[in-house]
Amino acid sequence: MRGGYNVPVAGAPLPEIRELPAPDRLYLPLASRRLDFGDVRVEEGQRVARGEVLAVDPEHFSIPLLAPYGGIVRLSEVEGHIVLDELDTTAGDRAAAGSTGAVAERLLALGAWQYLSDARTGDAADPAGRPSATIVSTLRLEPFLAGGEAQLDGALERLARGLEHVRGMAPEAPLYVVVPNADAPLAAELRKAVSACSGAHVVSVPMRFPFDDPALLARYLKLPAGPDTTVWAIPVEGVLAVEAALTDGRPCTERIVSFAGPAVTEPTHFRLVPGHPVADILAERLCREPARVINGGLLTGVVLSPEQRGVDSECTGLTVVGEPTRQTLLAFARPGISRRSYNRSFVGTLRTDMSMRYRAGLSGEVRPCIACGQCADVCPAGILPQVIHRHLYADRLEEAQRTRVDLCVGCGLCSFVCPSKIDLRTELLDAKRVLREEEEALRAEAEAEAARAAEAKAAEAEETQAGEVTV
Amino acid sequence: MKIVRDLLDRVEPLFREGGRFRLFRPIYAAGAAILLSPLDRTRAAPHVRDPLDVKRYMSLVIIALLPCMAASVYFFGLRVLAMVLVSYAAGGAVEVLFAIVRKDDVNEGFLVTGLLFPLVLPPSTPFWMVAVGVVFGVLVGKELFGGTGRNLFNPALVGRVFLALAYPRAMSSSWGIPGSGLFGHVTQFSVDAVSGATPLAAAKSGGLVPLWDLFFGSVSGSAGETSAAAVLLGGAFLLLVGVASWRTVAATLGAFAVMTFALHGGSPMMTLWHLLAGGILFGAFFMATDPVSSPLTKAGRWSYGIIIGVAAALIRNLTGYVEGVMFAILLGNVFAPILDEIFVTARVRRLREEG
Ligand code: SF4
Ligand code: SF4
Repeated sequence: MRGGYNVPVAGAPLPEIRELPAPDRLYLPLASRRLDFGDVRVEEGQRVARGEVLAVDPEHFSIPLLAPYGGIVRLSEVEGHIVLDELDTTAGDRAAAGSTGAVAERLLALGAWQYLSDARTGDAADPAGRPSATIVSTLRLEPFLAGGEAQLDGALERLARGLEHVRGMAPEAPLYVVVPNADAPLAAELRKAVSACSGAHVVSVPMRFPFDDPALLARYLKLPAGPDTTVWAIPVEGVLAVEAALTDGRPCTERIVSFAGPAVTEPTHFRLVPGHPVADILAERLCREPARVINGGLLTGVVLSPEQRGVDSECTGLTVVGEPTRQTLLAFARPGISRRSYNRSFVGTLRTDMSMRYRAGLSGEVRPCIACGQCADVCPAGILPQVIHRHLYADRLEEAQRTRVDLCVGCGLCSFVCPSKIDLRTELLDAKRVLREEEEALRAEAEAEAARAAEAKAAEAEETQAGEVTV
Repeated sequence: MKIVRDLLDRVEPLFREGGRFRLFRPIYAAGAAILLSPLDRTRAAPHVRDPLDVKRYMSLVIIALLPCMAASVYFFGLRVLAMVLVSYAAGGAVEVLFAIVRKDDVNEGFLVTGLLFPLVLPPSTPFWMVAVGVVFGVLVGKELFGGTGRNLFNPALVGRVFLALAYPRAMSSSWGIPGSGLFGHVTQFSVDAVSGATPLAAAKSGGLVPLWDLFFGSVSGSAGETSAAAVLLGGAFLLLVGVASWRTVAATLGAFAVMTFALHGGSPMMTLWHLLAGGILFGAFFMATDPVSSPLTKAGRWSYGIIIGVAAALIRNLTGYVEGVMFAILLGNVFAPILDEIFVTARVRRLREEG
């Protein structure tokens, strides 16, 4: 694998996992990164049991939003949320609906399907589809999302069982399990557990961001690509969710979420359920300074909207980083003892173990590209972001397509290292989206055309037939 | 720091819309941004950014040029500093003018051009000529292409070649006698000019300057180029901080050495002599590595360096010209987009095979 970079940022969470006191109410957002639960299935004031379907995403195979606890539904209280009141947090009452039916149906009903995605596009996996391979990644390398170490806390046995289930879901497809190639005891244990699983190929990958990206892994493993082949990707918590669903028929509602970043005083992980009030989490653990709360990681996350009141059902971490507040005199000419850069241009780069307290600033001004080439050096996809940037700047979308903007995995490292502070990631992802939409439109048109032609043919055949009859 | 902030806040209204100096807002903005780091926030992911910015990138090049500056002042007197000031003033005026017209920021790249340019001139170049050269270089070499980042050629080289073609006598016949001793010519403003005897010119008529003088730099030549030691010191720094591409440097010097070795019948001494003489070291470390006018890909940079090295050796040894480094680098600049086309296409094809 090529490129990649571990941003030396301070504020990593300890591997420990803390329990939070149960909240009084849950605020379940109706949208998360990929999913939009537009089809609400409950009524105002209805009492729901734990694991009951509150809403589904009609665009994505009706992936459901489950009630993490029992409670009374309040629909109109907070815009864009389902509020659960008078919570009943006792475990035990299971959703009976999930325990029968085909595997995919059971996983859907029990909230485990949302973890399965198409490795190349990142979209939700099609329950009716058959993968040509399955990738399970125990890594999550973006600072500071909850990765394998936290997710697997004491659950290695369940992981092994889960892998058997995952294998059973697509027995003909090879199963690749990605583990860190580090010397840490956990990595060794993990390798052992995985090797015990029959038919799983162990893939060791260096712990460098973003080598955990499913699209990169699929390319690295040279898995077949094409419009008719899909590769499934499942993160490690997804395997555990599959295990819970298929072994015990339990709905998967708990999440391990990191709460970390340079502006968090005690970075840690929390075990919580979706809908947990964000305010409760943020309340005590912030430094006193203007800060930005990010839903997701530092490099690819999005700013948590002030309207979002609860943790969403796809969240793997909240990251808090201070806004830039202090100006420095002649900053560019200082030796930079406490600063580290990708290209060794600060003295601090010599202190390899030092991490930096980054802030959410550009640390510089936007300038035309100076062709330094750092973006291409760091890009894990092997494309040339500066070349694509040049094409996009001149509105040459076809050229961007020719130079493979579609391979960009959106890791954000190019924007991170660019001394000219160009928003390369945003530009490339936008272009990639436009091209994909165009392609889909073309395909839909071609399909419609084919359907029309077939119809016309059928009509013609009918007509001739009818003609024959009259003759 | 507080004082600086207050001061800036006090003068800022003058440059605002309706203020007396509103036209010169780019000057204020550039000055303010140089003094105090800006507070611009990231608007999209990634939310944090590497601390390296273009200002620091360029200031590292300037720091790397300091040994050459010091050496040139030692050998050729304080006049060199005055040439730098003239170059900055004249080139800066063009830069600011274009920033005003374009309603854009003043670009830091000019700070490097403005310093590189006087260092490749004979130390006795008249001030007006320095000004004409740098204005031509910035105007034609950069602004006409659309500003920093879009220029095909290294602007300092464009200015230098323009002077060489427009005023060939002044650019090749009068060189200063280098100083020596503890203080060299540091205490003097300018040095006596002699006619026609750089080491390379002398070598054409058979006289070889000792190697040590070339290394130390006590020979006549362009202001910043004579001291190989100073160039190597600054160049090593540039490679160390990762600002210059070591591939370009290695390819240029390597190809130049191999070519010279071949042309001089396999003499290692002559090869070393030619590496230290003239502007090849300075050109390889400071001119050829200008990223904007170099190719983008690694393979492209190797090829580009080889083109420059070979061309420089050929011009120097086989033509009537005494020195060919600047032409060789301009030639490399011409080839850069072609090399990009070749190697980017190759890269894209490889990506397609990978799937
Ligand atoms: S181009 Fe895409 S894949 Fe490459 S570094 Fe940028 S965001 Fe990451
Ligand atoms: S990192 Fe930025 S300045 Fe450097 S080549 Fe890439 S886009 Fe250009």
